Amino acid sequence: MFNTFSADRDHFAKKFSAPVFDPATGLDEAGLKARLEAVWAARGNRPHPVVKAELYACVADHVQIDVSPHDWYPGFGCWDRNRRPLMEYTGRWAAELEQAGLLFGESFRRFSEMGASRMWIDFDHSVPQWDDILELGFPGMLKRAELFRSLHKTRGTLTPETEAFFDGIRITLEASLRLIARLRDHARRTADGNPRVLAVAECLDRLLAGPPQTTYEALMFDWLVFFFGEHIDRTQVRSLGNLDRLLYPFFQRDVASGRYTEEQIREFVRYFLMQFAAIANYWGHPFYFGGTRADGSSEINPMSHLILDVFDDLGIMSPKLQIKVSPNTPRDFVDKALDMIRRGHSSIVFCNEPGMMRALIDGGATPDEARTCHISGCYEFGVYGKSNGTGPAHLNLPKLLELVFNDGADPRTGICHAAETRLSDVKSFEDFYAAYLTQVRFTVDRTIEAVNAFERYLHVINPTNVFSATCEYSLNSGRDAFSNGLKYNNTTILCIGIGTAVDALMAVREFVFDRPAVSLAGLKQALADNWAGAEKLRLRIRKSDHKHGNGDAGTDALLVRLANDLGRMINGRPNVRGGFFHASSHPARQFIELGKLTGATPDGRCAGDEFSKNMSPTPGMDRRGPTALIQSVTRVDSRVFPADFCLDLMLIPAAVSGEEGLAAMRGLLETYFSRHGLALNINVFDAAQLERAIEHPEEHEGLQVRVCGWNARFNDMVHPEKLAYVERAKNVSA
Amino acid sequence: MRASATSGDDAHLTAPWVDIKRFAVHDGPGIRTTLFLQGCTLRCPWCHNPETYEAKPRLAYAAHRCLHCGECVAACPRGCHTMVDGRHAFDRTRCAGCGQCVEPCLGSALRLYGRSITVAEAVAWLLEDRAFYTASGGGVTLSGGEPLVHADFCRAVLARIRAEGIDTAVDTCGHVPRHAVERVLPCADRFLYDLKAADSGLHSRLTGVDNQRILENLLFIAAAGKPVEVRMILVPDRNMAEADIRKAGELLRGVRTLTGVKLLAYHALARSKFAALGLPDTMPDVPSPDATALRRVADQLRSILPAGALVTF
Repeated sequence: MFNTFSADRDHFAKKFSAPVFDPATGLDEAGLKARLEAVWAARGNRPHPVVKAELYACVADHVQIDVSPHDWYPGFGCWDRNRRPLMEYTGRWAAELEQAGLLFGESFRRFSEMGASRMWIDFDHSVPQWDDILELGFPGMLKRAELFRSLHKTRGTLTPETEAFFDGIRITLEASLRLIARLRDHARRTADGNPRVLAVAECLDRLLAGPPQTTYEALMFDWLVFFFGEHIDRTQVRSLGNLDRLLYPFFQRDVASGRYTEEQIREFVRYFLMQFAAIANYWGHPFYFGGTRADGSSEINPMSHLILDVFDDLGIMSPKLQIKVSPNTPRDFVDKALDMIRRGHSSIVFCNEPGMMRALIDGGATPDEARTCHISGCYEFGVYGKSNGTGPAHLNLPKLLELVFNDGADPRTGICHAAETRLSDVKSFEDFYAAYLTQVRFTVDRTIEAVNAFERYLHVINPTNVFSATCEYSLNSGRDAFSNGLKYNNTTILCIGIGTAVDALMAVREFVFDRPAVSLAGLKQALADNWAGAEKLRLRIRKSDHKHGNGDAGTDALLVRLANDLGRMINGRPNVRGGFFHASSHPARQFIELGKLTGATPDGRCAGDEFSKNMSPTPGMDRRGPTALIQSVTRVDSRVFPADFCLDLMLIPAAVSGEEGLAAMRGLLETYFSRHGLALNINVFDAAQLERAIEHPEEHEGLQVRVCGWNARFNDMVHPEKLAYVERAKNVSA
Repeated sequence: MRASATSGDDAHLTAPWVDIKRFAVHDGPGIRTTLFLQGCTLRCPWCHNPETYEAKPRLAYAAHRCLHCGECVAACPRGCHTMVDGRHAFDRTRCAGCGQCVEPCLGSALRLYGRSITVAEAVAWLLEDRAFYTASGGGVTLSGGEPLVHADFCRAVLARIRAEGIDTAVDTCGHVPRHAVERVLPCADRFLYDLKAADSGLHSRLTGVDNQRILENLLFIAAAGKPVEVRMILVPDRNMAEADIRKAGELLRGVRTLTGVKLLAYHALARSKFAALGLPDTMPDVPSPDATALRRVADQLRSILPAGALVTF
């Protein structure tokens, strides 16, 4: 039953790409669609939470299922995230609102075409209250929801809307239990004496009866809640939780009672992690480690090490790991993660626990709420069980510079949906910066209006029955957890390309006003021509030291100024969900996508090139190493970007080799955190990456290599020397 | 009158420098900043820093980075740079090392080594990363070339850094007068000490000078109680035979403040520097020793040195 992973690994190659289901277990995709259409047709005037729950129940009752002897966790016919069955119906509700002219206004459309601000309705960032539901199990969740319905009745707050909210949850949870029963029965029917399949059936049977009692049952429960929420209820479950802390009591009980050995638990974890490796979403699926107990001690425990070791052995990229780090975090655990990163197992981000607490308390959270915050998505954080942060808007900071140069008109589309500023009125850098801020303010204001317009209808478009059922706060409020049912219902505006924008502003200051080397009109023409005929100017600008990430005082001061201006424009403005807008420096993929829609910028960037990401520099523009980069970035008070604040460090294997290299990595991490940086990604280049640096030296100006007793810039080396380093990197990773 | 280590009397001192490396993680404990000064008392053929040989400005021209933009032509007051058929040509014999061509160079192909730095400027630079020193137990290292060619400058810088509570290290080849060592001894928390060969005859054959002064200074520093990390560059067919290593081990056994031995594998990765500087390439045409060879040397040293001696590579 155990120790079969190498033989089972092929199973995962197909589980989420080409799975085969027994037709006897349910309807195929076409059949399921037809059945859902019938449910939709019969919906009448029933409220959306109820209709959606009935659609959910239809999937739960009829989707094809699989319990494989090669797996510890079941499979489902609705495995394809891009074709989740209920997307069709949430899309229809959105379309109805749009047809009524209620959803997307002029700013939404025009900004989208221009690429000035990209918006969408975000249903991708829910975090269940895992602690509570692991104690309750599915039957307990149902019972709790019904208790709260009674409470609302007693209070006199059971309005028709609240009744519908609880009906939706009840129908959803009852359907979930039926689906678990189907899985159990299928396993029993098809086990044919296979002990693992029978063990799966037993596990499911226990989850039908009550909360999980063992590590395996807890992992199965986590998997089912994830799948039910994300794949059936169409709401991304953006954290699998504080997994080491959550699992440790189960682990202790299992080992103490002899129920499972540590090695067997390792296998359950291995197969659990492989579910997410097999799903293989490009963004990875997160869970987080560590934290601080009320008594000030660390939550890192033997389960933390076990999970990290299993992840390391698997060599997978998803799930991705988030580690809460504070002064109480055991050094050996941090070192283990750092060592994994330098060996290329770098799907790990370090999150600064005191820094996140500082930002959350600044935003109104209590110290206890801040201490127990969750981490979700990439490195977003929020009050656990009481918050839902959406990320529906992406502000293109470099694009707004284009608007200054073109008096508010977007040169690519010709659309003019911007503030009235005139380049001819600009006589100084302060004038230019003021014009830029005017454009930023216009775009932020219109973006907030547009987001408020569609976020008003989140619960109408997609009542998140599974998510709401996990949050006691939502049950108590009687409102949808994703919309306005929690204590903190915040909305994030992601500010894209701040490093590139600052570099571009500095180039205007230096080359137009300080030197001057070119007139504003001349620079405008060079940008319009994508630098054709102005290559020397472009190279001179690129070479300038006034680039973000180099500890340059003037550039850092402008970065701080722009960050503070953005913070003032965004943070604390009310949204329509009873919460507030928050600024973020996180770009997701938009530093690439919006870069494609943006023309040449004054920093020497060519049209269509990507921007800087996170708080990091434009690729190739940091030339003074990681300490200078950290100093530049942390001059910004991370509370200005309370949604998240992340830096990407790039190091090479030779710089981080041996004990002293590990200590150096730790030193960078601790210094960054001591200056309130909130999240840190570390990349250690491997041979393939160095080969790319040879092909694209312009993107790797800051890449340092350790020669012997010193570092050298990779670009300063001649080709054979670079090839020697590639060979070295191959040796390191071997 | 005797100046105190931190008085302002020596603030005017200057030294020629070639580089300042932040996030230096192999030049002593923790995260450090290393200032490389110009001027050296040895001429090791395998030298990775030939730009430090002479203590005077020298222009390096990295032809592989040249974009043939011609910006240097107008910038140069002595006509060193010309464009011939659209390609850049550099006449080093005319160059006085003024460096006026460096900033205009669009490809960053030109670089001036040996600019002068004051004590105050150096200290300001070296303190920029103090937060990282604190977090990592790191500090500041003076290297070269041979930094003790500028012993008074080094003393002035190190005294100021040390007064800030920051760890200080000197990376030296040891081939300097005793008084130069004495100048920095009170201000240096540790030494990184290069050992090319323990046998004086071999040392002489390799570097052109015997090692008597080097060994005396090593023992002097140890006798003063300063921690010493010895760094041995290993060059195949030159200094890594079993007998060479045995002799080195026996010598180092007598260094009572030895904190470790770091083995540095020779490689020819700095060969391009000789070309860029217009210097004859002296780098031995031998392969870099592999891990097996390094391990053999490390094991041999460990067998000679006191138990628990730290030998790394």
